[in-house]
Amino acid sequence: MTISFRKAVFAAGISFAALLQAAPSAFSQEMTIVLNTNEVGAQSYNPIKAPMLNTATAMIYDRLVEQDADLSFHPHLAESWEEAPDGMSWVFHLRKDVKFHNGEPFNAATIPVWLELFKGSDNAYMAEAIDKVEIVDDHTVKFVMKQPDPNLLYNLSSVFMSVPEPKAYAAAGDKFGVTEAVGTGPFKLDTFNVGSETVLVRNEDYKWASPLSKNAGPAKIEKLTFREIAEDSTAFLELKTGGVDMLLSVPNDLLGEMKSEPKLAVLTMPGREVAYMPMNVTAEPFTDIKVREAAAKAINQEEILAAVYGGVGAVADTFLISALPESNVDPKYKIKFDPARANALLDEAGWKMGANGVREKDGKPLKVSLWAQADTSFKRLAEVVQGQLKAVGIDAEITIFDSSAIRDQYKSGKQQLAVRSYEWDNADIIDWFFGGDRLGYPNVSMYNDPKAEELRTKAMKGSKTGEERQANFKAYHEYVLSQFPFAPIYQPVVNVGYNTERIVLPEKIRGTQIGAVTMMDVEVKE
Amino acid sequence: MIGYAVRRLLMLVPVFLAVSVVIFLILHLIPGDPIDNLIRIGSSPAQREIIAQRYGLDRSLPEQYFIWLGNVLRGDLGTAIVGQRPVSTMILQALPYSLALGGAALLFSASLGILLGVIAAWKRDGWADQLIMGGVLLGSTMPTFWLGLLMILLFSVHLGWFPVSGARNWQSLVLPVLTIGLAGTALVARVTRVAMIEAQQRDFVMLLHAKGLPRWRIHLGHVLRHALTAVVTILALRIGWILGGAVTVEVVFARPGLGTLLIKALNQHDYPVVQASLLMLAMAVMLGTLLGDLIQAALDPRVRTAMS
Repeated sequence: MTISFRKAVFAAGISFAALLQAAPSAFSQEMTIVLNTNEVGAQSYNPIKAPMLNTATAMIYDRLVEQDADLSFHPHLAESWEEAPDGMSWVFHLRKDVKFHNGEPFNAATIPVWLELFKGSDNAYMAEAIDKVEIVDDHTVKFVMKQPDPNLLYNLSSVFMSVPEPKAYAAAGDKFGVTEAVGTGPFKLDTFNVGSETVLVRNEDYKWASPLSKNAGPAKIEKLTFREIAEDSTAFLELKTGGVDMLLSVPNDLLGEMKSEPKLAVLTMPGREVAYMPMNVTAEPFTDIKVREAAAKAINQEEILAAVYGGVGAVADTFLISALPESNVDPKYKIKFDPARANALLDEAGWKMGANGVREKDGKPLKVSLWAQADTSFKRLAEVVQGQLKAVGIDAEITIFDSSAIRDQYKSGKQQLAVRSYEWDNADIIDWFFGGDRLGYPNVSMYNDPKAEELRTKAMKGSKTGEERQANFKAYHEYVLSQFPFAPIYQPVVNVGYNTERIVLPEKIRGTQIGAVTMMDVEVKE
Repeated sequence: MIGYAVRRLLMLVPVFLAVSVVIFLILHLIPGDPIDNLIRIGSSPAQREIIAQRYGLDRSLPEQYFIWLGNVLRGDLGTAIVGQRPVSTMILQALPYSLALGGAALLFSASLGILLGVIAAWKRDGWADQLIMGGVLLGSTMPTFWLGLLMILLFSVHLGWFPVSGARNWQSLVLPVLTIGLAGTALVARVTRVAMIEAQQRDFVMLLHAKGLPRWRIHLGHVLRHALTAVVTILALRIGWILGGAVTVEVVFARPGLGTLLIKALNQHDYPVVQASLLMLAMAVMLGTLLGDLIQAALDPRVRTAMS
């Protein structure tokens, strides 16, 4: 009986192994990409309504304007544009050879219908400054503005301003972006298995890629699959076993593993994230600007970069990512490690060094709380910051909150110090985190200063042109830096992992991230 | 029997109401605001009010509860706040994956667990028993998350037999089923073994022995049938558990399903989705228990009479 059982198991094993032989695919140029973990869970490819969109969206639709890695703007569906000197109107000249996946032409008539869709949607603010659209000729439109919006090109280059085909959009209703998605992009939506994977197939008619891509179209890849894998180790093992070809985000922890695999490579892309330490300017002792400046200058960014992030990324010395021109402030406003200055300022403020290494004033020790969210990298960062503050005599006690609950805690206004980060690539982030009408959260620093508000209004609403906006934001940024409502810490990079035996990437990656611009030039080795 | 089934069904009504209150309250009492996840950088404070109104988040808690309960009873699970899609569609999309995984895992634990339990009871205190019980202990104590990664390392990375993750074909179901199923197998094997050993000491078994029936026939034909009542109850209880317990496994193997849906919604404080998925899981537990009771009653007349 034992023998026959063994035989049965053996036979079953053989037939099983035969079944496991994968069926050959119809495409040779086929690539599978794992989405960035922070893009997991997008529920639809509806650019007008979705609160969250992933990288695949940029493959299905095109935008009027494309942004490059250096954050400059380049033509795409709009070949060129002119802005009136007073900022009250823009003229866009559209490409003439573009059509949607369903065969409908893309032309000037598309634009007003498309912009109308934004009204009343969650993304309405992106097109809010546009009063109306005038059709000049078949391929020229004029935006008449309610007020100047020098940020218009940035909005137009955003994935949320991807252009869907208006007729298909109206016909599909709520299902648009889920069961079908019609754009002008280099790939068409084949299947979307929500929460799991998205399969795209090449748009054979595509010949209007932005000049940032070498290949004008069609794309070299025939079938492109985007998978959602929330667990980093699983994604890494998929890449290692050849189950997928590229990971759009590899955590620093796995970089060592990646580098030990001969066929895998890591491509480092500039990130959009800044880690910083907000200080509550309404809570003692941080009501005193001297204490704030001291705490800011006690932070050793270089040491944190090496100790917490393994030297991957860059230090931050302003509130903005380095790629933004507004981060290029007068050097005297940059916030850098200066322990001597920190100690001197605390002495000046009346906080004298006590016997146990903690400063005191009027018999009270310099004890503060330091908040962080329950996430390994933030916990580690908080511990290093705690040590650095201790070195100048500030005793910080760490409190960890659940990542979904910490925002409510900030709204209580009871925080003193915190470590956190944001992800954004526009200078208007200063308005978001330091605006006097958003105290608690997002304004964790509880910063509300009349001079800053004045500069803020000027930057947000008083700029007519791009240059003016840049200058105004730089002035606002410099003033906020001079008031020390926060300490800048670190700018992470985005690590893209890929299989070098399968994928050939273009020499220079254009665009703000691995997106449609890059995918036009990517090839699979055969 | 029918009267018994109806009585058991009616008992579910108060349980359902209690569960719905608990699910609703837990969610609304923990800190975290779903609108925070909707407001993107750059949108105005007025936008916040509009969104709160749209989802009724500006109303009082009892009001929100009754509106929700009323909608649920009419079969309307609402619209996901962050997902912006009907919750029922999202659940219906996830459900087949969960059912496939849960069903296969249940089948796997039932067949292997009963087999192992019978062998262990048959060879009681022998090496086979000790080996099986040792394995059972290991299987039931290993965290599923860890076990899942080990499975991937062994079967996908080293042996290359199965895909690492995903839900494209039946091959991708094997490792998740093994991962969830092993813990269940351990449980079923233990219960089967104990129930069989207990049944062996009953008088009727002694009588059968005295009548001279072969040992294997007594074991498989009578003792096992007696012991199965307990095993079936355990299996039915596990229906709910497997759907809920699949959460970590779904994350490790990047499978869509109720668990993944729930975790994502929890992180985003998407109340309608969390409420609906928790309600689904709670209902699976309730129906599993009901099913267990009914099967038990069908197998064992004593249960039916005790209830009436």
